[in-house]
Amino acid sequence: MTEHAICVVVNGEQRRLRVEARRTLADVIREDCALTGTHLGCEHGVCGACTVIVDGEAVRSCLMFAVQADGADIVTVEGLGGPDGTLSSVQDAFREEHGLQCGFCTPGFVVTVTQLLRENPDPTDDEIREGISGNLCRCTGYQGIVRAVRRASEAPGPDRPDRPGPPGPEGTR
Amino acid sequence: MKPAPFEYHAPESAADVVALLAEHADECKVLAGGQSLVPMLALRLTRFEHIVDLNRVDELAGITRTNGSLRVGAMTRQRAVERDPGVATVVPLLAAAVPCIGHTQIRNRGTIGGSLAHADPASELPAVALALGAELEIASATATRRVPAGEFFEGTWTTCLADEELLVAVHFPVWEGRCGFAFEEVARRSGDFALAGVATALEVDDDGLVQRSALGLLGMGGTPLRASAAEAAMVGRAPDASDLDEIAMLAVRDLDPPDDVHASSTYRKRVGAHLVRRTLTRALEEAGRS
Amino acid sequence: MTATEHTAGRFVGQSIKRREDPRLLTGAGSYVDDVVLPGMLHASFVRSDLARARITRIDVEAARALPGVHAVLIAADLNPGAGSRQPSMFQGDAVPSPCAPVPLLADADVRFVGDPVAIVIAQSRYLAEDGCELVEVEYDELPPIIDAELAITETEHLVHPELGSNVAMSVPTPADPTLDEIFASAAHVVRETLVQHRHTNVPMETRGVVAGYEPASGELEVSLSTQNPHEARQVCSRLTGVPEHRVRVVGADVGGGFGQKFFLGRDEQIVVAAAVKIGRVLKWIEDRRENLIASNHARADRITVEMAVDAEGHLLAARLDHLEDCGAYPVGGTGGVGPFVAMLFPGPYRLGRLGFVSTAVWTNTCGRGAYRGPWMLETVAREEMLDLVARAIGMDPLELRRRNVIRADELPFTTAMGMELDHITPAETLEQAVEIIGYDAFRAEQRVAFEQRGTLLGIGIGLYVEPTSMGSGSLGVETATVRVQPSGTVTVMLGTGSHGQGVETTMAQVVAEHLGVAIDDVVVVQGDTASSPFGGGTGGSRTAVVAGGATREASIEVRHKAVEIAAHLLEAAPEDLEVEDGRVFVRGTPTRGVEMSEIARVAYNSPAELPEGVAPSLEATVSYQAPPITWSNACHACTVEVDPDTGLVKVLRYVVSEDCGVMINPMIVEGQIAGGVAQGIGGVLYEHLVYDEYGTPLTTTFLDYLVPTATEVPVIEYGHVETRSPTPGGHKGMGEGGAIGSPPAVFNAVADALALRGAKVTAQPLTPTRILDALDAT
Repeated sequence: MTEHAICVVVNGEQRRLRVEARRTLADVIREDCALTGTHLGCEHGVCGACTVIVDGEAVRSCLMFAVQADGADIVTVEGLGGPDGTLSSVQDAFREEHGLQCGFCTPGFVVTVTQLLRENPDPTDDEIREGISGNLCRCTGYQGIVRAVRRASEAPGPDRPDRPGPPGPEGTR
Repeated sequence: MKPAPFEYHAPESAADVVALLAEHADECKVLAGGQSLVPMLALRLTRFEHIVDLNRVDELAGITRTNGSLRVGAMTRQRAVERDPGVATVVPLLAAAVPCIGHTQIRNRGTIGGSLAHADPASELPAVALALGAELEIASATATRRVPAGEFFEGTWTTCLADEELLVAVHFPVWEGRCGFAFEEVARRSGDFALAGVATALEVDDDGLVQRSALGLLGMGGTPLRASAAEAAMVGRAPDASDLDEIAMLAVRDLDPPDDVHASSTYRKRVGAHLVRRTLTRALEEAGRS
Repeated sequence: MTATEHTAGRFVGQSIKRREDPRLLTGAGSYVDDVVLPGMLHASFVRSDLARARITRIDVEAARALPGVHAVLIAADLNPGAGSRQPSMFQGDAVPSPCAPVPLLADADVRFVGDPVAIVIAQSRYLAEDGCELVEVEYDELPPIIDAELAITETEHLVHPELGSNVAMSVPTPADPTLDEIFASAAHVVRETLVQHRHTNVPMETRGVVAGYEPASGELEVSLSTQNPHEARQVCSRLTGVPEHRVRVVGADVGGGFGQKFFLGRDEQIVVAAAVKIGRVLKWIEDRRENLIASNHARADRITVEMAVDAEGHLLAARLDHLEDCGAYPVGGTGGVGPFVAMLFPGPYRLGRLGFVSTAVWTNTCGRGAYRGPWMLETVAREEMLDLVARAIGMDPLELRRRNVIRADELPFTTAMGMELDHITPAETLEQAVEIIGYDAFRAEQRVAFEQRGTLLGIGIGLYVEPTSMGSGSLGVETATVRVQPSGTVTVMLGTGSHGQGVETTMAQVVAEHLGVAIDDVVVVQGDTASSPFGGGTGGSRTAVVAGGATREASIEVRHKAVEIAAHLLEAAPEDLEVEDGRVFVRGTPTRGVEMSEIARVAYNSPAELPEGVAPSLEATVSYQAPPITWSNACHACTVEVDPDTGLVKVLRYVVSEDCGVMINPMIVEGQIAGGVAQGIGGVLYEHLVYDEYGTPLTTTFLDYLVPTATEVPVIEYGHVETRSPTPGGHKGMGEGGAIGSPPAVFNAVADALALRGAKVTAQPLTPTRILDALDAT
């Protein structure tokens, strides 16, 4: 089948790729860009583990073909924290509040929440739950996740959601 | 779960789209938001030799107020409609229904036209279009036509669109006068397909008597449905609570809703009636206040 | 979090933030699908779409000819010569009889929808799936056995013809005239048939494996989404014939399991066997549809319970008739859990006497597997029955429990089934849970709301004891190597298979506490058979007790040696020395001390400085054997509102009062409970695996199998009671408990609400349809 040349910016880095049309954006991010933080939990658009930001919107990357992303600006979980490994305030909040256990759904949540707080910096409790209801977690019962969103929304700073958080607390190594 | 191979086309004009549809006909499918089509491709429940991506056809997106109606381009994102304060003012029923569609991430990509053309009887927009008497603007390489919503939905996931036709836009009539609108659905979890839902629009006269009423039902049959008998029973009346009980029963009496793992047919009828009663109550109240 | 006195050491007992988190939060985790190796090929399965059929023809030529397809294997290619597919616990004399005759690939027939018939190996998963579509299979359809009740008496159509019966197991207790007499003379006898429905684990990461066989070296290297790397290694070796010392299994980051990945699944076994056959690296990542139809199912039970109660509500006796649906190919260790259900049925209550008959049947459905507390039907059945009994005799369900719950002064207590319960606090957790949730105030509110507005509020309790860290066979043993490096930092090697439990954190806490080093100086290495001692993996609520026990003992041994060396270097008596923050010093004179790094330097690089009789190096390997059972307990209490017009249920408040002994990390304990609670809410209200009468699964994607989201699970409130266990450190297991106590708590709350209208429910799931039907029936 035909391959299509596409040009995408992923986490600020321009990439030129050749992709078969039927390959999903999720697969191309994981394989061609070697960014395996974005995960596949269902491949039919329900679990949200594959969530990435495309041109400023949180989308399910398993429901887009990579070829559709030609010219797009994409942010994945790898692009949220600092290049030296410091956590963004959302990532840090998840850690503080035990918002993850096995970690498989976590990148999808972190991306969703980052975008959620950009659009709605001060969500109510209902808005938080509604806002993350498109992401499934099987380990945490959502307890730490909801607390993490609340905590991240209260974190100080003008550019809260993607501001790199404090240096890792005790035991970050 | 990977799709079967296809040739991909990314035209940039509606004219190019319909030319491709004319050329490839039933071997071809348009790709709008992808939130319904891509899962089906991934599960290999369906496949096409050609996929025509509509996402670069800018002319297909956009909301404009025309004479007496709101024209929504087929590729307008559900999220754009959700965020547009103008829509809430001129077509409140549409504004009420859109936030019920799935989740934020779905609405970021999903489109108004895509949802209508997909024609899932348990989805929100077909019932809204039906209730409001919307008109679907359709084009092919050789002709354009307008189809009222009542003639657009033919069966589960089936519309009157021919293989070479493209849904270009939907025109939602703006209801003037003393109107009330309400949309409610019952789903197992937040964002799920509705087990039953009702899109209600009414207009009353200065004496509070119903002038016109529209009840669009979702999840209650193989297509979105109008509860015509119930609608007719309301005209010229100012229904009270027990009238509404009667009207609600009338709305579902002759229906044969689906029976599946999520709900029984009886359940859907019962809850459908409940939602008819609820939405009518709210819509009458709103109309009475306006 | 409220707590009775709770142990908090410097590290053990603290909610230390997890060391796993930074890599998982930044997308730097390493799950099996992240493994990419040169020359790696991809597999996809052709699976039966019929529940029961003979394979009459299979043609793979078109598939083989597809460009990009490397190989297509069927039973004839792969099955001959294959070693045992059964887990280690079923080897030798321990093979349960009968054992489902599971082949690798389906051979002459298929026995459930999803049965793997061929494996297509190609350059990408996309191409492999294209290849699968080209494989032609023809079947002679046979009538499938789908209904477990009918399976018992069906003699013509057999799921496994070679076994001669659809009954896999039938265990009745002997006739018991005393029991009969109790029933005959009891003030009240209540009999109900309860149904728990088929649902399943659903880890967010599906199963997956990358298996690479290098013929030149004879080495088999397997990356696996697993809870139990050493078990998988043994199975891979037996199955393929590659000797165990040439097999390596690595479970790096694993995206959840809940029991599904404790044993090596059949599909993964096929991939490993295929990799050895073709001498290549082969990846298979299960997709979600496969996970829902072909991994394992669980919880499909019907149980009839009879309870004899005296006039004051004391539980005199019970009879159970339990039918367990095992599917076609149960996955190790289940199918046959029936007798254990009966043994645990008395729970934390003074039940006088028990008789049971336990039957397990094969059906042409996906095999039963372990799911978080595989025996938990005992709690579901007992707790639901208690509420039904209470309503039948006109007593509040809380009061009935209070009259029968085992009290502290009755311990140790021997149950009606001869199990000894000790170090448990069911009465205390019951009281704490109902206090936190405000039981009496809720009853008053419930009454008022119903009388004034017809609102249906309900409250439910689930009280249980959990048999954790069961010390049978290799599951009772864990070995820990605690190794101080020459620089003074510490590595701990464990045979666990962490998949969300934070073992890298909790075991580092144990080491830091007992060795006396800073927690940042400890790294836990686990999940890799090449670098870890033989172990039993992670599951069965065993980590805190068994791995924790071994880790603690090994740390203490190292500490002892370090102190010995330090004493020599400091010219002090060992008993006068303290160890803290990686420094050994004279008690009261902290300046007179020596760093662990110096002790280690001596131990490794300057052994001449060691005291007499002390060997070089600074490490210890200790194997700890846990006692047969370490009991933990908890009480779940839940309030709900049922909408009488829609049958929708809203969970209002959820409280768990738990006693798992000394908590290593309270934050992690609460997290484990929370996940289990969400699974209980999901199980009772939303999740259901449904087959039609032909054995075709109807719930094959997340569109139809409904997992709860953040809008379905409320804030969970916790109370903690701490009763030390007799095991090292005083810990108890608890990982499965959340999923044991929650289903009956939720069920009972809904049933309690419906009882306001005189409506009754006895079967799950409590869907909106079932609830409205129950209300309609009054």
